Amino acid sequence: MGKYYLGEFEEVVMLTVGVLYNEAYGVSIKKEIEDRLDRKVSVGALQSALKRLEQKGYLSSKEGESNAKRGGRPKRYFTITASGKRAIEDTRDMRNQLYDAIPKIALDLKIS
Amino acid sequence: MKTPLPPSPPKILLRFFRWFCHPDLADYIEGDLYEIFDENVAEKGLRKARWSFAWEVLKLLRPSLIRPVSSFYKPIYIAMIKHNFILSLRSFRRYKSSFLINLIGLSTGLACALMIYLWVSDELRMDKFHDKDDRLYQVMKNSIRPEGIRTSSQSPALLANALKQDFPEIEYAITTGNDEFNGRGILKQGNRQIQVDGFFASKDFFKAFSFSLAQGNPQKVLSDKRSIILSKKLAHQLFGTTKNIIGKTIQGNRDLFKATYQVTGILGEIPTHSTLQFDFVANYDMVLSKVEWIRKWSGDGARTYVTLKKGTDAEAFNQKLGRYLQTKPDREDNQVFIQPFSERYLYGKYQNGKAAGGRIAYVRLFSLIALFVLLIASINFMNLATAHATKNTKEVGVKKALGVTRRALAFRFFQESILLAFLSLIVALHLVGLLLPQFNLITGKTLQINQLLDIAFPILGITLFTGIASGIYPAIYLSSFNPIKVLKGTSYKLSASSKVYLVRKGLVIFQFALSVIFIVGVVVVHQQISYVQTADVGYDRDQVIHFNMRGKYNRATLIERLKSTPGVVNATNIHGGNIVRMLGLGSGFQWSNQESDKEVEFRRPHVGYYFIETLGIEVIKGRTFSKSYGDEGSKLIINEAAAKIIGEQGIVGKTILDGDDKKQIIGVVKNFKVQSMHEAMKPCIMRFAPRGSDIMVKLHAKNQAQTIARIKTIYESFKPEYPFNFRFIDQEYQSLYVAEQRVASLSKYFTIIAIIISCLGLLGLTIFTNEQRMKEIGIRKVLGASVLQIVRLLTGTFTKTVLTAILIALPVSYLLMDQWLDNFAYRINLQWWYFVGAGLAVLVIAWVTVSLQTVRVARVNPVECLKDE
Repeated sequence: MGKYYLGEFEEVVMLTVGVLYNEAYGVSIKKEIEDRLDRKVSVGALQSALKRLEQKGYLSSKEGESNAKRGGRPKRYFTITASGKRAIEDTRDMRNQLYDAIPKIALDLKIS
Repeated sequence: MKTPLPPSPPKILLRFFRWFCHPDLADYIEGDLYEIFDENVAEKGLRKARWSFAWEVLKLLRPSLIRPVSSFYKPIYIAMIKHNFILSLRSFRRYKSSFLINLIGLSTGLACALMIYLWVSDELRMDKFHDKDDRLYQVMKNSIRPEGIRTSSQSPALLANALKQDFPEIEYAITTGNDEFNGRGILKQGNRQIQVDGFFASKDFFKAFSFSLAQGNPQKVLSDKRSIILSKKLAHQLFGTTKNIIGKTIQGNRDLFKATYQVTGILGEIPTHSTLQFDFVANYDMVLSKVEWIRKWSGDGARTYVTLKKGTDAEAFNQKLGRYLQTKPDREDNQVFIQPFSERYLYGKYQNGKAAGGRIAYVRLFSLIALFVLLIASINFMNLATAHATKNTKEVGVKKALGVTRRALAFRFFQESILLAFLSLIVALHLVGLLLPQFNLITGKTLQINQLLDIAFPILGITLFTGIASGIYPAIYLSSFNPIKVLKGTSYKLSASSKVYLVRKGLVIFQFALSVIFIVGVVVVHQQISYVQTADVGYDRDQVIHFNMRGKYNRATLIERLKSTPGVVNATNIHGGNIVRMLGLGSGFQWSNQESDKEVEFRRPHVGYYFIETLGIEVIKGRTFSKSYGDEGSKLIINEAAAKIIGEQGIVGKTILDGDDKKQIIGVVKNFKVQSMHEAMKPCIMRFAPRGSDIMVKLHAKNQAQTIARIKTIYESFKPEYPFNFRFIDQEYQSLYVAEQRVASLSKYFTIIAIIISCLGLLGLTIFTNEQRMKEIGIRKVLGASVLQIVRLLTGTFTKTVLTAILIALPVSYLLMDQWLDNFAYRINLQWWYFVGAGLAVLVIAWVTVSLQTVRVARVNPVECLKDE
C-alpha cells in the first residue's frame, strides 16, 4: 500500500475533484458523484471526506465567490495537490498490479 | 424574475447547524446546503426539500465536522474548578473551627437523613416484590352499621370463586385463610412434631403472588386438596433434609385439620419485606371440606385477593364491584372494594370505608424530620459562610475587579458547599455504618449498610441537594458585592449590614424554633405513652400471666389445681384471648324502656369463675359469678358504661334479652379497658362460660419463677398437644404501643441531633462574631468593663434571637401536638410546663453554648487584642 492510503469514498472524491478540475466545490462534487456513480451522497459524508483529504494534504482549497442562491455564503473550491496526484496514481497502480496478477483461469471460471 | 422572498430552509435547523458546526467550515457548508435546498425546492417542492434539508443537517453531525468543544473551553473550566478547589481547601484550613462545625453538622445531618431514607425506602418497598404488584389487589369488606362503616379484610370464603366467575376482568382470584389456625397447628412426621405458622390458600396462590419455590412447579403445587408446601426450615425440622421429600406425607393435628398432607413443594426464601410470612401453604379446599360454616355466604374467615387482567381500570372495576356482595344471602349490609395489596402495609387504616392513612403517617413524619435536620445543618453552613463574608470580601473584590463574572463567583461558592457536602457524606456513611445496628434495634428492621448501594443515586442526589441548598445564599450574597466599596475598605460594615444580618438571624430563629418544636414533641409523646402505660385501666395487670390451653380436659379441675398451687393468688379462664386484646364486640341485647331502637354495640366477653377477682376489677353493685349459685349461664355482669346505657335504676336483678335468651344482671363492675387507648371505653356485658381455654393466673410477687415452674408441671400433667407458652399480661399491654414507642425513641434521638447541630451553628457564629469584636472587647476592658458585663453584652443578641424562636415555636408545637393527641381516646392534657420547659431548655442550652465561648473571650487580656496595628 505504501505511504499513500485512500479509502474507497475518498478515492471517488479525489477523482471527482480531478474530473471537475477548476469547478470542484461541495455541491458540484456531490452532484457529479451522484450522476456518474448513481449513488446518494450526503453533505455530511462529503464534507468530512473533503476535510480529511485536506488534512492529509491531498487537496487544497480556496475561497470562491458567493451568490444569492447560496444565501450569500462563499463557495470553497478544491484542487488536487501534487501529493494528491501521487496518491491517486499510487492507488490506481496498486489496483492494476493486483488485477494483472489474477490468473486468467480464475476470471474465466467465474464467468462460466 | 426572482421572487422577492425565496423559500428558505427552516431557520431553527440552520441555527442548530451553525451552533454545532465547526466555525471554519460553517460558511461553506451552509452555502452548499442553501444551494441544494434551492434545487430541491424547484425539483421536489418545499415540503420535501425541508425534510431532506433536515436529514442532511442531521447527517452533518459527525465528529470531524462539529465544533471542537475540547480544544477551547475545557482547560479553563478545569483550571477554574481546580483553583476553586484549592481556595476551598485553604479556607477550610484557615478557619478550622468553622470547617469542623460544618463538617460535623452536615455529616450528622446527612447520616440522619440517610438512615431515615433507608428506613423509608424499606417501608415503601414492602410487598412490592410481586411480579404482578400493579395488578394484585386485596378485596376488603365494608360493613355498613348504624354507628359507621367498619372495614375488614375478612371476607366469605365463597367470594373468590364467585368473583372469578362473574367478572371477566379478574385473572386470578385467591382465597387464603384461615388465620384462626395460625400458630396453632401441629404437623407430625414420624415421631417429630412441630408447631407451625402458615395458612391455606386456593390453588392459584403461587400464580398471583411471586413467592419463589425452591422445589416444585408454581403452576401445579397447590392443585391437589392434600398438597402442602413447606419452608426449608420446616422441611429440615420435619424431615431433617430438603432432599427427596416431595411426595412424602405428613399428618396434621386437630387445629390444622386432622388429615394426611402430601408435600408438593419447598418454598424459597420469603423476602423480609413481605407482610405475609409463613412456614407452610396448604390447599384451601381442605378448609372447605372440613368446616361447614365456611361454605356459606354468612361465614367470614377468609381473605380474598385478586389479580386483574392487564389494562383493567381498577377505579372503574371498584365501581362495578361495590354492591356485589349485597346480592348474596345474609350480606345486605356488606360492600366490597379492592385495594392494591402492596398499599395495605402503609395505608392500613380505614375511615368511612376508605383507606385513610396508617403507617404512611410515620413515613411522612420521619421524612419531614430528615428534611428539617438537613435544613438545620445547611443553615449552619449558610450562616458561617455569610459571616465569613467579611474575610472573603477582598477575594471577591479583587476577582471582580479582574473581570470575573458573577456567575463564576457564585460557582466558586457552590463548589465549596458541594465539596463540603461530599466530604460530609464520607463521614456520614461511616456514621451510618456505626449506628445502623442501634437503629435497627429501635425500628425493628433488618436494614443493612449495603442497601445504601441500591439507593446510591438518590443519596448522591440528596448530598448534592444539601450542597446546593447550603451554598445558595452565600453564593448569591457574596457574589453581589460591589467591588469598589469592598476594595475601598467599607467591607467591615457589610457583615452588620441590615439585610444579611436579618437573614442570618432569621435562619437561626428557624433552627431554634424547629429545635423547640422537636423537644415539645418528644416530651408530649413520652408523657402520653407513659400515661397510657401506667394508666388505670380498671384491672390489675401486674403479676398476671396468661396462657392458652386447648383440648379436652376439665376446666374446673385445672382452675382448682392452679388455685391451690403455692404462690398463686387466683386463677380464671375466659374465651377469646387475654384481657389486653380481648376480642368480641357485638350487639344483640334488648332491654325494657330502651331509649332508641338503635342497636348498641357491647363488648361481650365470655368469662369463667373468678374472672373479676383474678384481675382485681372493682365490684360496685351486686356480685360476681360464683359456684355457690346455680345456673350462672343465665346471668350477666355489666360495667358502669353499660349500666348507664341500660338504666342505672334497679339495675341489679334486671332481666334483659341476650339474643332470644332472658338473662339477669347480677352485678355492675367498674369500667375496665381492653384494647388500646386509641379506642374509647366501650360498654361491656360479661356472659358466663366455664369452658374458656384462655387461662389467666395471678401470682404472688415473690418466687415467681418457682410458681411458674409449678404451673408448668400442672399444665403438662394434662398432656396437652402444645408446649407451655405463657406471657405476662403487662408485657402484652405494653406491646399495644410498640409503634408509638418506636416513634418516641427515634424522635428523641433525632431531636438530640437537631439540637446539637443547631448549637454547633450557634457556637460557630459566636466564635466568629466574638473574634470580630475582639478590639471592641479590648477597649471596653481597658475602660473598665467587667467580665460579666462583657459576657452579658455578647450573649444579649443571641438571647433575643433564641427567645424569638421560642415564641414562634410554642404555638406551632401546641397545635401539632394537640392534633397528634387526638389520635387517642384517652389523652393527656397539654400542660403549660411542657412548653415553658422546652423553651427554657433550649434557652439554657443556647446560653451554655454561647457562654463557653464568650467567657473565654471576655477574660482575654486586652493587651493581647490591642497590641498590634
